[in-house]
Amino acid sequence: MPDQSLPADRRPWILLSPALVFITALVVVPMAFILVYSFYENIDLAQDVPAFQFGNWQELLTDSYYRTAIWKTLRLSLIVTVLAAVLGYIPAYVIAMTRYRHKWLLLLLLIIPFWISFIIRTLSWIHIFGNQGALNGLLRLLGLTDAPLSMMYTEFTVIVGFIHVFLPYMILNIYVSLEGIDQNLEPAARTLGATPWQAFKEVTLPLSVPGLAAGCLLVFVLTGGSYVTPLILGGPSDFLFGNLVYDAVVTELNWPMGATLSFALLLFLGSVVVLYSKLMGMDQLSKAFGR
Amino acid sequence: MRVWSLLKFYTILVYAFMFAPILVVLALAFNASQFGGFPIEGLSLRWFYKLAENEAIMRAMRTSLALGALTALIATTLGVLASLALVRYQFRGKAFITTFLISPVLVPETVLAVGLLIFLRWLHMPRSFALLVIGHSIIALPFVVLVVQARLVGIRKDYEEAARSLGASPFQTFREVTLPLLLPAVFAGALFAFTISFDNITATIFWRPSGLETVPTQIFGMLRNSVSPEINALGFVMICITVGLPLLAGALARYFSRKKI
Amino acid sequence: MTKKIDDTTRYERLRERMGNGDIDRRSFLSLLGAAGITTGLSGGMMTSMASQARAAGTELNFEGWGGVVSEALRKNAFSPYEAATGNKVIDATFGGENEVLTKIKAAGNTDGHNILHSSGVSWYKRWVDNDMHTKLNEANIPNMANVMTAMTDAFRKITPDGLSAVPYNYGTTGIAYNTKYVTPEKAKELGANLLLDPSLKGKIGGWGGDWANRAWYGALQSDQDPNNIQDWDAVWDKAREHRDLVLKYWSSGAELMDLLAKEEIYVTEAWSGRVAALQAQGHPIAYMDPPNGLAWMESMFVLKGSPMEAAEELLNFMLDPATSIAVASGQKYPSALDPTKVEMPADVQALPAFDATGKLETLVFRDPETWNPEEKDQSKTWNRVQKGG
Repeated sequence: MPDQSLPADRRPWILLSPALVFITALVVVPMAFILVYSFYENIDLAQDVPAFQFGNWQELLTDSYYRTAIWKTLRLSLIVTVLAAVLGYIPAYVIAMTRYRHKWLLLLLLIIPFWISFIIRTLSWIHIFGNQGALNGLLRLLGLTDAPLSMMYTEFTVIVGFIHVFLPYMILNIYVSLEGIDQNLEPAARTLGATPWQAFKEVTLPLSVPGLAAGCLLVFVLTGGSYVTPLILGGPSDFLFGNLVYDAVVTELNWPMGATLSFALLLFLGSVVVLYSKLMGMDQLSKAFGR
Repeated sequence: MRVWSLLKFYTILVYAFMFAPILVVLALAFNASQFGGFPIEGLSLRWFYKLAENEAIMRAMRTSLALGALTALIATTLGVLASLALVRYQFRGKAFITTFLISPVLVPETVLAVGLLIFLRWLHMPRSFALLVIGHSIIALPFVVLVVQARLVGIRKDYEEAARSLGASPFQTFREVTLPLLLPAVFAGALFAFTISFDNITATIFWRPSGLETVPTQIFGMLRNSVSPEINALGFVMICITVGLPLLAGALARYFSRKKI
Repeated sequence: MTKKIDDTTRYERLRERMGNGDIDRRSFLSLLGAAGITTGLSGGMMTSMASQARAAGTELNFEGWGGVVSEALRKNAFSPYEAATGNKVIDATFGGENEVLTKIKAAGNTDGHNILHSSGVSWYKRWVDNDMHTKLNEANIPNMANVMTAMTDAFRKITPDGLSAVPYNYGTTGIAYNTKYVTPEKAKELGANLLLDPSLKGKIGGWGGDWANRAWYGALQSDQDPNNIQDWDAVWDKAREHRDLVLKYWSSGAELMDLLAKEEIYVTEAWSGRVAALQAQGHPIAYMDPPNGLAWMESMFVLKGSPMEAAEELLNFMLDPATSIAVASGQKYPSALDPTKVEMPADVQALPAFDATGKLETLVFRDPETWNPEEKDQSKTWNRVQKGG
C-alpha cells in the first residue's frame, strides 16, 4: 500500500522534477519556438521576416517532393527496424540465457563499436563493400568473380550502415526484457509436455515483447530522424526526410521552411509513438519501465 | 543441445558483423599507403606519429572527454532520480511521464538542435560549453533511464522495506541498500551517457561555441582536405583507451555487485 | 602608430632568431611567463591578474577547413603571431560558411567569429549584403602589396571604399579522370560533356554540396555563358542527365579522393588541389580545365565586431610569403601572392590552375552580380534535382 501521507505523494514528483524541468526547457519550449518559426517568411538566404503565414505549410502539404520523402523514410525505417529485430533477437536471447560468467563483457562488447567515432565507422564501410574493399578482395581470392561487384552507394549499404549503428539498442532492450523472465518458467512448461519451441513461443516470447517493442520503437524513431548515414553511404536517390531538413536549414539557410519540416517530422514520428501506445498499450512501455 | 550451439554460432556472426568495420579501421591504421585499401601494401606507424603531432585533435580529445564525463554525471543523476520515481512509486499519469522522459529520443536530433538554437537566440544567450553539457545530457537521459530502471525493477523491495522497518530514513535506505545494488546499472547508464556524448555529432555541430572542437566535429572538419588514415589511427587509439575504461568500469561494477546481499 | 612598427619589427627579429635556432618558442614563452610571475608576486593578486590579462592580449577566432591548412597556418602564422604580440589565436574548423552564418543568425551577433577562410567573391558579397563586413586599414598590412591585383580588384568591385578581406588562394574546379579508363584525347574532345558520357554510366561522380558548381557545368554543357545564364531549365536538364549516370554525389574532399583512388568512379568534377594530392600519391588521375571552366578564390575575411588592429596584424603574418607558400604547398591551391613579385617554389608552380603571369586572365570566376540573386531559388531546385526531381 503506498504511503498516503502528503510527503510521500509529493516524493516521486520531487525526484522527477529535475529531469522534467530539463526536458521542458530543452525539448518542449524549443519545439514551441520551432512551430512559431514555421510561420515566418524567408526572403533570402538567412533573412527571415516574422509573420503568420501558411506558405511553408502549404508547400509541405501540396508538393509531392515531401510526400515522397516521408514515404521513403517510413519504408526505410520499417525495413531497418524489422531487420534489426530479427537479427537482434537471437543474440539478446543467447546473452540472457547463457551461463557464461562474464555476461557483462558480452554487453560491453556491444557498446565498444560506439567508441570509434560514428563518422569513422560509417566511412569505413567503403573498405568493406568498395571495389577495393575486403568483400571484393575475398570474392576475388575465392575466384568467384573477376570484376569487382559494385555494392557501395546503394540502398543496401545504407541499410547495413543503419543496422550496424542501431543493432546494439535493439539487443540491449530485448535483453533487458528477457533477463527479467523467471528462468524456471520454460523448464516448467517443458515438464508439462511442451516442446522446446512451444515453451519458447508460449512463454518466453510473449514475456519479451515489451523489450522487443521498446527496441523497435527506438530503432524506428532513430532511423526516421537520421540524415548523415544516407548522406555518406547512399546514392543520389537514397535520402530521408532528415536530409530535407538539413538542406533547408544548413544549405538553403531557409529557417522557416526548416522549422516547418522539423515540426512535420516530429508530428510524423510522434504519431508512430501514439500508434505504438495504442497497439501495445502504454502499459507495456511503462511496464518496461517498472513492473 | 544442437539448437543452442546454432544460436551461439549465429550470435558470434552478429558480433563479427558489429566488429567488421572496426577491425578494418584497426588494420588500416597501420597501412603505409595514404588511401588505405586492400591489399595492405606495407606496415607503418607514421599515421600514429602524425596523430601525436596533431595538436588540434589532442585538444578536441580533451574537450570530448571533459564533455562526456560531465554529461555522464548529470544524465546519470537525473536518470537515477527519475527511475526511482517511476519504479518505486505509484502515481497518476505515469504513462505520460514515461513518454515525456523518453521524448528527447523521439525528436530527431537536427530538429532538437535547431529548436534549441532558436530558443537561445530569443533568450539572447550565447552558445557555451555549459550548453553543450546540458544538451548532451538531455539526449543521453532517456537511455540512462532505460538501463537503470531495468535493473531497479529486479531489486526486490523487501530489502528496502526491511531497512525502513529497522528505522532507516528513505535517504539512508537508498544509500545503504538500493544504491549498492543498483551500482552496476548506474555504471552502465553513466557509460552509455558518456558514449552518447562522446560520439555525438549532429547536435554538437550546431551547439558548439566558436573554437570548441570535439573529436567527431574535428574529424568532420578534416573531411574536406583528406580522409587521412590519420583518422584510422585515431580510431585505433580511441579503441585502446576506451576499451580500457569500460573494462575498468565493468570490473568495478562486478566488484560491487558481488557485495549483493 | 609607433607601437605597430615596434611589434612588426619585433616579430621580424623574433622570426629571424627562431629561424636561426637562437631561441625556441618554449624558452621565449617561459621568459614571458617568468616576467608575468614576478610582476604578479610584486603586485599582488589583482595586479597580477590584470597584468596577465594585458599580457594575454586580445583573442582572435579563426575558422577554416582544418587539416593541413590549419597545421600550416598554426605553425607559420598563428604561433609566431602569438609569440610576438601576446594575442591569442583560437582556430576552429567549420563545415562551411553556411554553418557560420547559421550560428551568427542564431546568436544575433558575431561574437566569437572574427576571421573566416572564406569561399569566393560570392560569399564576400553575401557577408557585405548582410552588413557584417569591416574596413581593413591596409597600411597595417604591408604584405598586401604582394597580392595579385587581379584578385584584390574582384573584391574591391564589391566594396570600393575598402576591403573586408585579403585574397588568400585560388583554385579551379575542373574535371578529374582516371587515365586507365579515359584517354586524354577523349577528355579533351568532350570537355565538360565528359561528365555526361553514357559509356561511363555508374562510374561518374559529382559534387553534391554546391548548386552553383552543378549549374556552372550545366551551363557549359548546354552551351551557355555561365556568367550569363538565360535558360535555367536547360541547365537543370543537363544536371538531371548527369544525375542518371552518377554513382555517388560526394560532399567532402575526403570522399572525392576516396572515390577516385579506389576506382569507384572514373570521372568527376573535382577541386584542383585534391587532384594534385592524388597525383602526388601516384594515382593515375589527370586533371582538365574545360574552356570557361570554373575558377574560384578564397580569402581571409574579417567580420564586423572584430578587434581590427589585432586582426590586421595577423593577416599580415598570414600574407608573409613563407606562410602563404607553406599553406599553398600543404593544401595544394596556389597562393594569392603575385608570382612575379614573390618567388614560388617548384611544387607550387606545378600545381594545377597555377598562373605564372599573376594576372589570372585565363581563369573565369563567378560573377556575384548574376549569381547571388539566383541562389535562393536555384539552390532549392538543385536540392530537388539531386534527389530525383
